[in-house]
Amino acid sequence: MIGRSPPRNEDAALLTGRALFVDDVHLEGMLHVAFLRSDHAHARLIAVDASSARGRPGVVAVYTAVDLGDYWQPGPLLVPPPPIPGLTFHAATQVPLVKDKARHAGEPIAMVVAENRYLAEDALEHIVVDLEPLDAVVDLEAALAPGAPVIHQQLGSNLAAHVVQHKGDYRQARAQADRVIARRFRYDRGAAAAIENRGLVTHWDARAGELTVWDTTQAPIPLRNGLARMLGLLESQVRVIAPFVGGGFGPKIMMFYPEEVLLPWAAMRLRRPLKWIEDRQENFYATSQEREQIHDAELAVTKDGRILGVRDIFLHDTGAYDTYGLTIPINSQCTLLGPYQVANYDSEFKVVFTNKPIVTPVRGAGRQHGVFVMERLLDIAARELKLDPVEIRRRNYLSPDAFPHDHVILFQDSAPLVYDSGNYRPALERATAAVGYDGFQAERARARAEGRRVGVGIVSYVEGTGIGPYEGARVTVEPSGEVRVATGVGTQGQGHFTTLAQVVADVLAVDAARVHVVTGDTREFHWGTGTFASRSAVVAGSACHAAALAVRDKILKLAGLLLEALPAELELAGGAVQVKSDRGRSMSFGELAVRANPLRGAVRPGTEPGLEATAYFGPDRGSTASGVHAIVVEVDPETAMVKILRYVVVHDCGRVINPVVVQGQIQGGVAQGIGNAFYEQLVWDTNGQLKNASFMDYLVPTATDVPKVETHHIETPSPLNPLGVKGVGEAGCIPTAAAFAQAVEDALSEYGLEICDIPLSPNRLFELIRAAEAAGAAGAAARQTGGAAGAAKR
Amino acid sequence: MIVEGEFTFQGPREMVWNLLQDPEVLAKALPGAKTLTKTAEDRFDGAMQVGVGPVTAGAFSVTVVLKDQVAPERFSMQVDGKGGIGFTRGTASVELRAAEGGDTLMKYRADLQIGGKIAGVGQRVLDSASRAMTKQGLEAVNRELQSRLTGAAPAPARSRTRYWAAAALALVALTIALCGGPWR
Repeated sequence: MIGRSPPRNEDAALLTGRALFVDDVHLEGMLHVAFLRSDHAHARLIAVDASSARGRPGVVAVYTAVDLGDYWQPGPLLVPPPPIPGLTFHAATQVPLVKDKARHAGEPIAMVVAENRYLAEDALEHIVVDLEPLDAVVDLEAALAPGAPVIHQQLGSNLAAHVVQHKGDYRQARAQADRVIARRFRYDRGAAAAIENRGLVTHWDARAGELTVWDTTQAPIPLRNGLARMLGLLESQVRVIAPFVGGGFGPKIMMFYPEEVLLPWAAMRLRRPLKWIEDRQENFYATSQEREQIHDAELAVTKDGRILGVRDIFLHDTGAYDTYGLTIPINSQCTLLGPYQVANYDSEFKVVFTNKPIVTPVRGAGRQHGVFVMERLLDIAARELKLDPVEIRRRNYLSPDAFPHDHVILFQDSAPLVYDSGNYRPALERATAAVGYDGFQAERARARAEGRRVGVGIVSYVEGTGIGPYEGARVTVEPSGEVRVATGVGTQGQGHFTTLAQVVADVLAVDAARVHVVTGDTREFHWGTGTFASRSAVVAGSACHAAALAVRDKILKLAGLLLEALPAELELAGGAVQVKSDRGRSMSFGELAVRANPLRGAVRPGTEPGLEATAYFGPDRGSTASGVHAIVVEVDPETAMVKILRYVVVHDCGRVINPVVVQGQIQGGVAQGIGNAFYEQLVWDTNGQLKNASFMDYLVPTATDVPKVETHHIETPSPLNPLGVKGVGEAGCIPTAAAFAQAVEDALSEYGLEICDIPLSPNRLFELIRAAEAAGAAGAAARQTGGAAGAAKR
Repeated sequence: MIVEGEFTFQGPREMVWNLLQDPEVLAKALPGAKTLTKTAEDRFDGAMQVGVGPVTAGAFSVTVVLKDQVAPERFSMQVDGKGGIGFTRGTASVELRAAEGGDTLMKYRADLQIGGKIAGVGQRVLDSASRAMTKQGLEAVNRELQSRLTGAAPAPARSRTRYWAAAALALVALTIALCGGPWR
């Protein structure tokens, strides 16, 4: 079953509209919630008067920070910083409702509970809020300047963290370099823009003493544990269900969002089920975002293009709070090294608070920044050294015998950054062949003769995936012979119902359609962490594998007894056990399951009833996937519009469980990467007001903007897990901007422009083209004047 | 957000100033204004109905504090408006100058923060439509000026205070900043 692409187990429910999403949950007596949010990015809260709103018909309750009493607490720090020597980190986590200060536009001030959402929203206008506006902190550099307004007074400045990591001796490497390339790179903020916004339904069953929470979360188990702690309940009294979710992309791993803290509490107080579904405009303020960074980077190279060292100093915007710790900037710091031999590396970053919505990982989670910086530096170095951009990469790849490769610095999971396995050149050669790189000069010239400008970009990347701590799974063979798998990870469309089923089906030699996977329901499985960091296949997949092996052992042991054979003489096939030498002697799984759960007699000591096993998997560190993206674009210098003609991805995520699922992850990731590279940008004014909080003005790429990605698989198995798999969830979007920039520059090579800022909107590209034209004209004029002067001299 | 511009009235400055004291005329230029009350010597509180582009109209309360008045030449003001659809705050100044041929040149400049839904969702129409609406409003005043110059209209009500004009002009500034489309 592994390596094949059977029809997806979840598709029948999804395609016929039977799949349950949070908003499909309707409960008797359910009330609806709306939030009053701050219009100001930075303001002192003087007073809130909700008396008029409370008196409105249909309004059941209005809560402000004061009404929460002791329940009002800042949220927990989700990811403590890794033990990096000399590290500075100041935690300031989000609060349920504004008490003293609003720190970003959209921060909730009050919660209204009413008979329906209309009445709840109408009541918002009747809450009188007295806010004293304060100067907002928006720009990263200005935020750290002396005299800047301070967002968290207790910290004394807007510095959230300062981290330095070293490898080798960069200063010495720089002294030996033939050339040093130094540039400033910027990456701006975008939204995850999942189709389904966040949502919650909460129900307190007083008779059962059980709280049920349907939530669009990527992490149902940590959410359950946290809610139990906050509400003073046993963990077993809280059931969190993350049903089908229309896209996670990272922000749904963030917790505890204010709504997640407030709805369960209010449902228990009011003894009525509550529902809140985030609307699209709220999503632009209330759901976490990414990814503003400013990098000042330099690359020290020899004249033949060999990397001697890299130095990178950058600022990272964490928004108003830093609940998710340092995951994103450490990903940037580590992923910058890419597939290359970099002996000397100085990396330093500062994390900055700003009056903008909270920043937590969004697909890629900082990796694309590192890749962008490194790939751009290599492109510029190749141009200055008159080397082919593909050749400069080839010369610097880690060789296949360099693994495991220790990069010395620490990764986001607090483990050393050690690449488990890799073989980079085959992917590069496959990509160059697929995209016709060697003949592209002729292609470019032919297009140019037709008045078209086409260019090619080829970039490399690695993706740290599959980190711990652990996941678990329980595999059960039911008396019907059907197999059931329960695991703790949430699912947001990745295909877990199929890929995890394939892993189990492979061990038990059954059809994957007979393996029924349940995820994201803490009553089914309550140990685990969640879906993030491209880890589900690696970590949950390996746990499923281990549990299936244990069930297989039970099957063989019991069948051996019943069929009077040694387990070694038996084999599994088609949902039954048979004696290898006498295939007529067999028993179906269903029959075995019945016999394993006897109604009379005794379960013998040392055995357990049923054909069921639970197992866990926790890797010491993540596995490192890699790949190459090649893109061909056509650019119209008049309109600055870019059309993507081809997009080739050669990806190595170790052993492939399901090629179509991998392809889907890559296709979707590339779509997100294209948005990130060219279309999507959240634009803030100097007061911290978002200027494009709707899909009218915030442009996500549409089907016509996204080409069909040609995907190739290369398999370098990971030695860190029994399946040999690596993650693939973020691969599509990580190097897209770097590939895009290289190709656009190539198409416009005669302009000699440099792309150092992402997203590169049509507007920004237009400005770059015009600036290059002006510089070119000025240069030509200067040359002409110089020539004339020279002539006059003679 | 900076909103600035100028407008030429075809008539003398004194007359323009007087015209701007007529609430009936101003109502034509300020289609969102509902009430305006003097609550202190230099302070006015008003209520408007404001909608911007795709943002449905909502109640908007406005406070205007006048400053630096030099009648009939210029004044500035601090404006503060808020409602369910967002807020605006900042300063605005208006200047009337005698121009050639007996015309009056009005220069206006507002430096305003816009926030909330009108900033997030109405942004795309704020700039262009505010220019169009300002022009529309000021042209309405100018038309009234022309009809009075030709003697076709009744004389302006004398009982109004000059604060009316000043505060009304503050609302012009707000209109400039907020009117992203037809008032709904």
